[in-house]
Amino acid sequence: MKLKLKLAIYNALSKALVLLAFGALMPFLVERVVYNHIDHRLKARTAKVLRIIEKGGLNDIVRESDCTFESYNILKEEFILIEPLSGMIDIKPTIIANEQWDIDGEKLNHRIIRQPFIYDNQIYSLQIGEGIDSLDKLKATITKVALWATILTVLISIFVDIGYVQLLLRPLNNIVENKLKGTKDPVHFNDAPVKTSTTEFKSLDESLTALMKRIKDAFLNEKEFITNVSHELQTPISILKSRFENMLMDDNLTDEVADKIEDSIRKLNRMSKVIRSLLMISRIDNEQFLRNESVNIKSLLEEIAEEMQERLGSKNLKLYVHHLDEFTFHKANKDLLYTLFNNIINNAIKYNVENGKIEIGSSFRNNKYVVEIKDSGVGIAKENIPYVFDRFKKFKKTTESSYGLGLAIVKTISDYHRINITVESEEHKGTVFSIEFPDEYHS
Amino acid sequence: MNVLIIEDERSLSHEIEIYLTKQGFHCDVAFTGSKASEMVAVNSYDFVLLDIGLPDTNGFEILKEAKNNNVDSAFIVLTARSETDDKIHGLDLGADDYLAKPFSLPELHARMQAILRRKHGLKVQTIDINGFVMDYQNRTLHYDGTPVVLTKKEFDLLHYLAMHKNRVLSRSQLTEHIWGDVMDDDYDSNYIDVHVKNLRKKLAAHSPIDWFETVRGIGYRLNIQ
Repeated sequence: MKLKLKLAIYNALSKALVLLAFGALMPFLVERVVYNHIDHRLKARTAKVLRIIEKGGLNDIVRESDCTFESYNILKEEFILIEPLSGMIDIKPTIIANEQWDIDGEKLNHRIIRQPFIYDNQIYSLQIGEGIDSLDKLKATITKVALWATILTVLISIFVDIGYVQLLLRPLNNIVENKLKGTKDPVHFNDAPVKTSTTEFKSLDESLTALMKRIKDAFLNEKEFITNVSHELQTPISILKSRFENMLMDDNLTDEVADKIEDSIRKLNRMSKVIRSLLMISRIDNEQFLRNESVNIKSLLEEIAEEMQERLGSKNLKLYVHHLDEFTFHKANKDLLYTLFNNIINNAIKYNVENGKIEIGSSFRNNKYVVEIKDSGVGIAKENIPYVFDRFKKFKKTTESSYGLGLAIVKTISDYHRINITVESEEHKGTVFSIEFPDEYHS
Repeated sequence: MNVLIIEDERSLSHEIEIYLTKQGFHCDVAFTGSKASEMVAVNSYDFVLLDIGLPDTNGFEILKEAKNNNVDSAFIVLTARSETDDKIHGLDLGADDYLAKPFSLPELHARMQAILRRKHGLKVQTIDINGFVMDYQNRTLHYDGTPVVLTKKEFDLLHYLAMHKNRVLSRSQLTEHIWGDVMDDDYDSNYIDVHVKNLRKKLAAHSPIDWFETVRGIGYRLNIQ
């Protein structure tokens, strides 16, 4: 999931939570505020009434008969009631409460203040009430308005958040899209700094560029190293080889010495070939070979088979080239493919038995072109099959010194071309190499 | 024939010098690029053997310089660097041939001979091998007017031996000449023996070939008067 989306979801959820909490608390808050106001008003009125009584006396106000006073406004939303309290009633302090009053047959909710006072040795109770039925409506209205306002705010803020987050994360996106994706090797890394004012992104970008630069330097160093290794190793080999060859030209050499010199030359050649093979593997790994040719595999195999003919005589081998299907492999390097087949067939000759045979054939499996190279040679022990393509892997339980890099090169070339190679083998029966071409680059 | 060996590795230039002198060439040696440019400008050489990895100059610069000054020498580039680009670059600049180190001295000699034939169109196009007449221009072999049919490899083998007559060529030298780089790193020198066996059979059908000598343990030699 993208970071942008995650942040937006988090924002929306947290805001919805705030919204819910606010919505649930709103009615209580409104009620508290309104009651506060009413209570304040009721107290003020009580004080005012008491002042009037103190000034002008109670007699002017109350009715003669029962010494009470009642007054309602028209809508019965407010009333004042003064009544004497009979008997020995304790003077209770001011009480504010909600009560339902029956006024002229109408049941109405009121907030009431009760204030006892003494006048002319008589205890009276002053009650002032205010209707609160309208309060519920007010509460509902205020809650509704507040809710809508909050929803609107949340929605707006979510959109603003997404936009802002996107803007904020743009440098990160740039780093991911332009620098990391599609950078296959460090040499092609885009090291132009990403524009950002965010410290973390800046340091991420800088660290990444610094890291890539180090890898790139190492990569180029390695390339130069390879060239230098070649020079440093092949030059002394070349000197020794020339010296031995000059020594060999001396007619007075004994057979034994001459034999040793010739053997030394062969060892030097082997050394040189190993160095060359290692360099080749390393250069393929470093993608220093172009893959820009279209290779007709059928003709290539026929060409190699033709060249191999003359080498079959040493073991009296037979090479059969069965029917080969036409197949052109694009985006390939012909020299490398030549080496691939050459090394496999070479192995088939080397590890074959006297009067043995080698067969080359092709087929289509699951729409993929497969070349099979089969020999009747000594085969490979089961436990060694997984290691045949390893570099310098010594085989178990064999006398074979196995310094050959032929199959390691085969593996490197096939990986480079996305060719899939499998080996089946049975000891003393033979080996089959199946070379399966990818189906994306052919016609 | 004058040869200039431009090679900073003194032991190597020394060995080349010994070999080519024995083959009848007169050799000069330069260990640096500046010395080499000087010598190319002053003297006239039939061959310049040029190492690319010189300490002071890039070998290609000397090649360019010489070609600009219309120096009529044949250039053979020698390099121990792994870059195949070197080969292409060298040939593009007008080098006549290219040899990767380590090379075989008889191979160097054979390449020089090939350049001579190409450049100067030598009048003698045939070699007499004890009665067998080899025409290397048309790649044919005759004995007493009768053609002897050889495969390409057999012809190359006989030619290489004839070119170095009265000298032993070892199996590894022959293998290297015939197959070059294609062979595996632990190639079987028996391949050569098979070819020699077939070649001998074809030659012996026309005349005794006791001059085609097997030098035990090493290789083969043609004894030609």
